[in-house]
Amino acid sequence: MNIESRKKALRHFFAKVVEPMGFKFTPDADLVEFLLEQEVILEGKHGVPFCPCQPLRNERVHDMQIVCPCIPFHRQHFDAIKRCWCGLFVHKDVVDPDTLLQLSAKEVGLE
Amino acid sequence: MSDGFVRAISAADIAPGGMKAVELDGQEIIVCNCGGRYYAVQRRCGHMNAPLDLGTLDGTYLTCPMHCAQFDVSSGEALSGPVPGHFGDEAVPARLGQYLQDIGMMMQHVRTESIRTYGTKVEGGWVQIALKSAQ
Repeated sequence: MNIESRKKALRHFFAKVVEPMGFKFTPDADLVEFLLEQEVILEGKHGVPFCPCQPLRNERVHDMQIVCPCIPFHRQHFDAIKRCWCGLFVHKDVVDPDTLLQLSAKEVGLE
Repeated sequence: MSDGFVRAISAADIAPGGMKAVELDGQEIIVCNCGGRYYAVQRRCGHMNAPLDLGTLDGTYLTCPMHCAQFDVSSGEALSGPVPGHFGDEAVPARLGQYLQDIGMMMQHVRTESIRTYGTKVEGGWVQIALKSAQ
C-alpha cells in the first residue's frame, strides 16, 4: 500500500462526510493533493489522519477534534469563513478559494 | 465453457451495492454489484484473511469487517491498512493488556496486500467469471 492509494480512499470517504454539511473539496487540486498527502503521513505516524495545519497536544479530547474532516467540531467557525482551517474543504458555492481568508474564531467574533 | 468463463451467480441475486460469496473450482470469490457493473475479487482480505463479503461496499470501495482495511474491487488495489483499535480509557486487566500488546506488536508486521481480481461478464442473466484470468 502506498500514499497514493490511501489518498484515494480518503478522498472517496471524506467527500461523503463533508457533502451533507455543505462542503466540498477545494477546487485547488494541488492543495488537495498536498494536504491529503500530509494527512496520510500523519496517519502513518499517529494512526489517525489529523489535520495537518493544527497542533496536536497529546490530549485525546482535543486531538480527536482535529481529525480530518474536523468540520463538525468547528462548524460555526468554518461556516463563517466558508472553509475549514487548512482549506481542504470549502463551502459548496465557493468557486475561487483564494478569496477566502483564514480567520481565527476570535477574528470572526466567535470567542 | 470454452471462453474460460464459468457461471457464478444469477445477476438478479445481487442487489446494487451488494455482494455475495461463491466458491468456484475451490476458489473463494465475492461478486460485487457496483451500480449494475459486476466485479469479482478474492473473498479473503489482503490483510488477515477475513471474509470480505461480511464487510461493506461503498461504490467500488470495499471495507473489511475485521480491521477495516479497504480495497478497490475494480482493480484489487489495497487502499487502506487496518484501523488501530481504541478500547476506551479504562484500564484493562494486566494479562489481557499484555495479550493485546503482543497481538499489536505482531500486527505491525502484517502487510496489507492487494487482492486478486477476476474478469466478469453478464450473459443470459448470469454473472460469469473468468477463473483463469485472475490478476
